[in-house]
Amino acid sequence: MSLRLLVVEDDREIRTLMQSTLSVEGFEVQTAVSLSEARALLLHSPPDVVVLDLGLPDGDGLELVQTIRRQHTLPILIVSARHQEEQKIRLLDAGADDYLTKPFSVGELLARIRVAMRHRGTALAAAVTEHHRDDLHIDLTQRSVHSRGETLHLTPTEFSLLARLVRSAGRVVTHRQLLHDVWGPEFTEHTHYLRLYMGQLRAKIEADPAEPRHLLTETGVGYRLATGS
Amino acid sequence: MKNSDKGPTAEPALRTWLRVVVLIGAATLGGFALDHHVSLTSQAMVYVLAVVIAAYSLSPVASVVCALGAVTAFNFFFVPPRWTFAVDGQEHLIALGTMLVVALVISHLAARLRQKTEVARQHAMRAHQLQELASALASALSASVVVELGQMALDATQDGPNTLAIRREDGSLDCGLSLASKVHDGLQSCMREGAVLGPGTGRWPGLNAWYIPLDSGGQMQGAACIENVQAADQAGREHAQALCTLLAQALARLKMSAHVQASEAEAQRQQVQSTFLAAISHDLRTPLASVVGAASALQSQADKLGAADKERLLHSIVSEATYLSHITENTLQLVQLTNAAQPLRRDWESMEEIAGAVLGRLRLRDTERRITTKVPQDLPLIEVNAVLIAQLLGNLLDNALKYSDGPVELSVRTTETQMLVSVKDRGDTIASDQAERIFQPYARSDYSGQRGAGLGLALCRAIANAHSATLSLKARPGGGNRFTLALPLSGQQPAGAQAMEAL
Repeated sequence: MSLRLLVVEDDREIRTLMQSTLSVEGFEVQTAVSLSEARALLLHSPPDVVVLDLGLPDGDGLELVQTIRRQHTLPILIVSARHQEEQKIRLLDAGADDYLTKPFSVGELLARIRVAMRHRGTALAAAVTEHHRDDLHIDLTQRSVHSRGETLHLTPTEFSLLARLVRSAGRVVTHRQLLHDVWGPEFTEHTHYLRLYMGQLRAKIEADPAEPRHLLTETGVGYRLATGS
Repeated sequence: MKNSDKGPTAEPALRTWLRVVVLIGAATLGGFALDHHVSLTSQAMVYVLAVVIAAYSLSPVASVVCALGAVTAFNFFFVPPRWTFAVDGQEHLIALGTMLVVALVISHLAARLRQKTEVARQHAMRAHQLQELASALASALSASVVVELGQMALDATQDGPNTLAIRREDGSLDCGLSLASKVHDGLQSCMREGAVLGPGTGRWPGLNAWYIPLDSGGQMQGAACIENVQAADQAGREHAQALCTLLAQALARLKMSAHVQASEAEAQRQQVQSTFLAAISHDLRTPLASVVGAASALQSQADKLGAADKERLLHSIVSEATYLSHITENTLQLVQLTNAAQPLRRDWESMEEIAGAVLGRLRLRDTERRITTKVPQDLPLIEVNAVLIAQLLGNLLDNALKYSDGPVELSVRTTETQMLVSVKDRGDTIASDQAERIFQPYARSDYSGQRGAGLGLALCRAIANAHSATLSLKARPGGGNRFTLALPLSGQQPAGAQAMEAL
């Protein structure tokens, strides 16, 4: 059975383009031009993935994300323009899975959908406890981290931070989410903790901390643990 | 000056009468001293002298009383039969009568003279005050200074309490403290009527205060209220009105100059905007032409084109469209920055991290790895807007890749007060006289021979300015250019991160 995708996008050209390119990849694509239409479709036939454009005529999508999150665990991808930074972060914090900045290539869109699906697929079974990419091997149950053939010694906070990223590997995790989950709800504004600990983590994990390959920065939004090649 | 308005009557009555008694007493003593040496007429002259002194230094009533007292005392002590009020003989009666008339006339004349002197003195002081206020107002740069000067001037001339209020654009009154409703209504009414209200003005004479509009040629700038005033003090009212007129003119002048400045700024903004629009549409046209050309070729000549040609056309569409998106992003950001009313959203950021993110993006284009980095690992955190700083570094590195063929270096270092981020290339050196021009939007130098650099650098400059940082360009020894962003370091780092390790 093919995966069902709901694309919420008010621009006709982009909607048509996404529909045709995603259909080619074997998805069953439904489209909606507004939040209200998306809401109706969600009630009628829940999809497996939602791709949600920001700046729709009838609202900013926050309410839709919250509604979906109350009932479904299905992945939500946000599509935003560069200047919609704050809105995007708000939706990510509200439970959206990842985002794409316009203009994006079809390749990027597909990669994001794949990552989002993988997480949702395993989220129901067991949480992610291992991460392997190139020379980096992380096992959360063993609390072990190996990089370039060496065992790394991480402080408890460094390990918590890394573990949080591993559990969302491939997806962006916002500053607020990281601070909330690693330090606690009262520290969500202390972004400087993140800068310092991320710097320490990179110094231990990355071959060249100035040009990280694993712990990627999503400037102004959060961090992402790289997956794939 | 304040007391002079009320005259000597303001003195305690007791002292006045004491002085009358002292004067008459002194004259009487003088009379006894001269007794038997001089004639009765000369003794009378001593009393007249006392009356003259009283008339000049005391109030009119007191001097008349003094005149009557002097005549009575002279009669009692000296006119025969002495030690009685009786008058013996016609001659003495005439002398006494004459003395009384002389004393009253002198007292009247002296009082008038004194009054005139007083009025002249007040006129001079008021003229001086007006002149001083006018010159102080000439250098006043804000309405609040005008109000302050006005309040001081009113307080110096009237006991008050005095209230000064400015009229806002919406017609309401702006006064430091909350106004009593009676005062507020009076101020509003006098502005509405454009005339002075209160005692002596014929309008609302029942009030105990003058309400004076700050009227500059029919435009009401505000109003003043002076409480506890007399209807008879016409000169005082006219003076207060003159002060208010000066204040009104000063306020009108301030409004006018603010208006002129605003319209000049608006005209300049429109000029910049139209230059900007013309230039941006020029810059968009070229890549658009490439995209349309390549796409239409693929559409209409698909069967005649070889695989390599198709690949080339597709590549051109993607790269030109990406470039268009880049220009659009820069333009949008520049417009947002130049029009932004609110301050930047800043956060504690790591420059190493920002540079790393920028490099990650650029490596897609920098396949030969021409960019090398020198970023120390122990850099302090810095409070910036990371998205904007990343855009700035991206633009600088992008330009360096585009306009040079050699290596490009990104380096960061700190001094005590600054964090210096440099991008160095080995491209054609930009002449020092061009170094400032290339930061102007679309004032593109001819050095490039390529397109699109103008706006990118203008945006970089705008981002630097928004961070109170400087962005400068220097030629490198041995050829090439060095762009340096100098961000101020606050010297303080956010506290508390290390303590969290106990978790």
